[in-house]
Amino acid sequence: MDTHNATSQKQVNQGPAQSNVAALVSTLQELLPASSVVMSIESQRPFECDGLAVYQQLPLITVIPETVEQVQAILHLCYLHRVPLVPRGAGTGLCAGAMPHAEGVLLVMTKLNKIVHINHHAATATVQPGVRNLELTEAVAPFGLYYAPDPSSQIACTIGGNVAENSGGVHCLKYGLTVNNLLQVTLVTIEGQLMTFGGEGLDEPGMDLLSLMTGSEGLLGVVVEAKVKLLPRAPRVQVLMAAYDSVTAAGDAVAALIGQGIIPAGLEMMDHLAISAAEDFVKVGYPTSAQALLICELDGTDAEVEEQLALVTECFTQHGAWNIRIAKDDEEAAALWHGRKAAFPAVGRISPDYYCMDGTIPRSQVGYVLTRISELSQAYGLRVANVFHAGDGNLHPLILFDASIDGELEQAELLGADILTLCVDVGGTITGEHGVGLEKMPQMPYQFGDAELAQFRRLKAAFDSEELLNPGKGIPTLKYCQEYRSLQHG
Amino acid sequence: MTDLIGELVQQVQHAYATKTPLKIEAGNTKAYLGRATSDEVINVADHSGVISYSPTELVIRARAGTKISQLNEVLAEQQQRLPFEPPAFSGEATIGGTVAANQSGPARPWFGGVKDSLLGLGLINGYGEAMQFGGQVMKNVAGFDVTRLQCGAMGSLGLITDVSIKVLPQFNAGHTLTFEMAAEEALEAMLRWANLSLPITGMSHVQSKNMLYIRLQGGESGVASASQLLGGAQVEPNAAEEFWQAVREGRLLQPQHNQTLWRWSGPRDAPIHSVPNTSLINWAGSERWVLADSSKLPENGLIQHQGGDRLAEVYGSITGPQKALKQRIKHAFDPHRVLNAGRVYSWM
Repeated sequence: MDTHNATSQKQVNQGPAQSNVAALVSTLQELLPASSVVMSIESQRPFECDGLAVYQQLPLITVIPETVEQVQAILHLCYLHRVPLVPRGAGTGLCAGAMPHAEGVLLVMTKLNKIVHINHHAATATVQPGVRNLELTEAVAPFGLYYAPDPSSQIACTIGGNVAENSGGVHCLKYGLTVNNLLQVTLVTIEGQLMTFGGEGLDEPGMDLLSLMTGSEGLLGVVVEAKVKLLPRAPRVQVLMAAYDSVTAAGDAVAALIGQGIIPAGLEMMDHLAISAAEDFVKVGYPTSAQALLICELDGTDAEVEEQLALVTECFTQHGAWNIRIAKDDEEAAALWHGRKAAFPAVGRISPDYYCMDGTIPRSQVGYVLTRISELSQAYGLRVANVFHAGDGNLHPLILFDASIDGELEQAELLGADILTLCVDVGGTITGEHGVGLEKMPQMPYQFGDAELAQFRRLKAAFDSEELLNPGKGIPTLKYCQEYRSLQHG
Repeated sequence: MTDLIGELVQQVQHAYATKTPLKIEAGNTKAYLGRATSDEVINVADHSGVISYSPTELVIRARAGTKISQLNEVLAEQQQRLPFEPPAFSGEATIGGTVAANQSGPARPWFGGVKDSLLGLGLINGYGEAMQFGGQVMKNVAGFDVTRLQCGAMGSLGLITDVSIKVLPQFNAGHTLTFEMAAEEALEAMLRWANLSLPITGMSHVQSKNMLYIRLQGGESGVASASQLLGGAQVEPNAAEEFWQAVREGRLLQPQHNQTLWRWSGPRDAPIHSVPNTSLINWAGSERWVLADSSKLPENGLIQHQGGDRLAEVYGSITGPQKALKQRIKHAFDPHRVLNAGRVYSWM
């Protein structure tokens, strides 16, 4: 039974021979316009990390292709010369998934940024990977449509990156993640071949390769085009806020609401530290004495929203909300959301550094997990602010630390690791929407057994037998897992 | 209500050791799908029962042999439902087979298909290893999405042992409206209404009746106001349920001897003439069905859904690199091709 691990026991690519590298660089320079090749250290600095800046690495060479054919040629060259390749969009990811490889090519996809086609009758759009998430929603707004997944980074993040990470957002409780809003992707394989998965309709026959590609973190191929679903803008959107004396009470209100059969478009929770930080920063009128705040968005026709609003306010009140604010107009609704969306930078103002986690847990465990996080926070002596997608149990604890203090980053990472294993222990996962990347590799053997990890590696090998696509990320090698476990038990 | 995972693992391990191909079967309601195979049967029907159900978490987890009808009953007690409303096929269809065959009902364009509700599953691969992917939480991006990869794979990548599904509350109200009109006019109406953000959960046009059916489901007042806006004739609730069940179970178009039922899937605004001889338009225009004599060759892009030569490549032709990739994926899960070999493609 051990033979099937043979391919996966191979070490992470040790990097190509020097002669290959020289040949690759000169061919790339011939192939691409000068503006698409970045080699100097200073010019490559902006690319040395993604949104998780504690992980940094300069690549050997950065290329910024302008056409699909160039992407194909670049991948084919990397394949021929056995050089690692890391794809990157806008670099807003939060798991070091786009951190460059020291001996590899960094492939920046932002110049493939055309909206190829909008079909407002079928409510679909075909886009290149470098199109920004919000740009797409703005482009289809004249047709009364929008693109539902809306990660906090939607101003900057690209659709290609969203596909690679299976990005979520504040509205995925009702409208799903990227995987639920995609129809088709065209990708380039490491050999440089074009392949299309999914289709123009729904549910193509055969295994669902479209879903496999979504969230595969650049380990299986490079997306060069995506066809996405668009949704009709609801005629009425109603935002409300409810304040509570404890996170447990707010958590119970969330469980009761959903148990009653109401699925809001968005349902977010912030704890006391996050509320105070946000209010200090953007002054939207959050009650700073609250221990927990719920931000709830309802959408639909007037009749639907009125019906739901009555039920929601009743449920929130029954569960101890002492202040319910129903936005009177779009401006007030935007303000209520603004505080939540500004929570990360707001926390950035009260601490020199912060580290954002991304576990998901069953909703019923919210009270327990937040209590445990609070205990861990005290044990490590580091403050933790909690902002999360309460409706779907996706936590974003923000660990506050000061990297200039010796050892504090390491303490923050250890605390983060404890939070993630806690999420797994209560039946959850180490990542709800940010991805594994380089960051969460240590927790992968905690969440998955050897058989599952070996299956992941065989699947990876079916696409990329030479382990050139984003090596060392997403899926740990067998050796990595063994070392991890011996450390845990040592 | 038994857990037979040990026996199932043993059977697959034996098949792996002896290179004996197995045909996965439970309710045996989907024999008409895919290619016909005649391997030794591994029966999952008795590996059944709900493992856990938490209504406030909106998650149910059940063994693969659990019948759709049983899940519907358990969920109905808590006023909940399977969002993708799969066909129950006289109570015999199972959740494992439903996921493998990727079968969802009329609400597909609005509430998603199987993959949109699927949170995790247990799988025995072709080595006979029992594994778990995904989980019971709403969002989970750790590792490759092996869970959703199984949708439509027809068991060719592994034997599904249990399934975790996101469920939703039942609707408080429902109306079905009919409009007598020809296909072309019906398609226009569907496109117009589908983009209005109404509580629509079904849009089908039946050629033989010259009739467009619209289903509205949701809260009382939302459904009432949408119903008033659209007009049409209201169908009596039992007749409406009967109609949508027939759509779900494919009973409106049953191929007779020498007939083939073809499925077309594409953009919902594709003109009527782009799929000639359509008998049924479903999913607001994005799924169309053609019932024709088996001797007639299909138009491009149609899939041989039911009837006709079941030893042919019923899912159509496939290009060289994609074929090679699918073979490598099959090999990654099932190197000796012991699980549903030949069911999807003769070469896989």
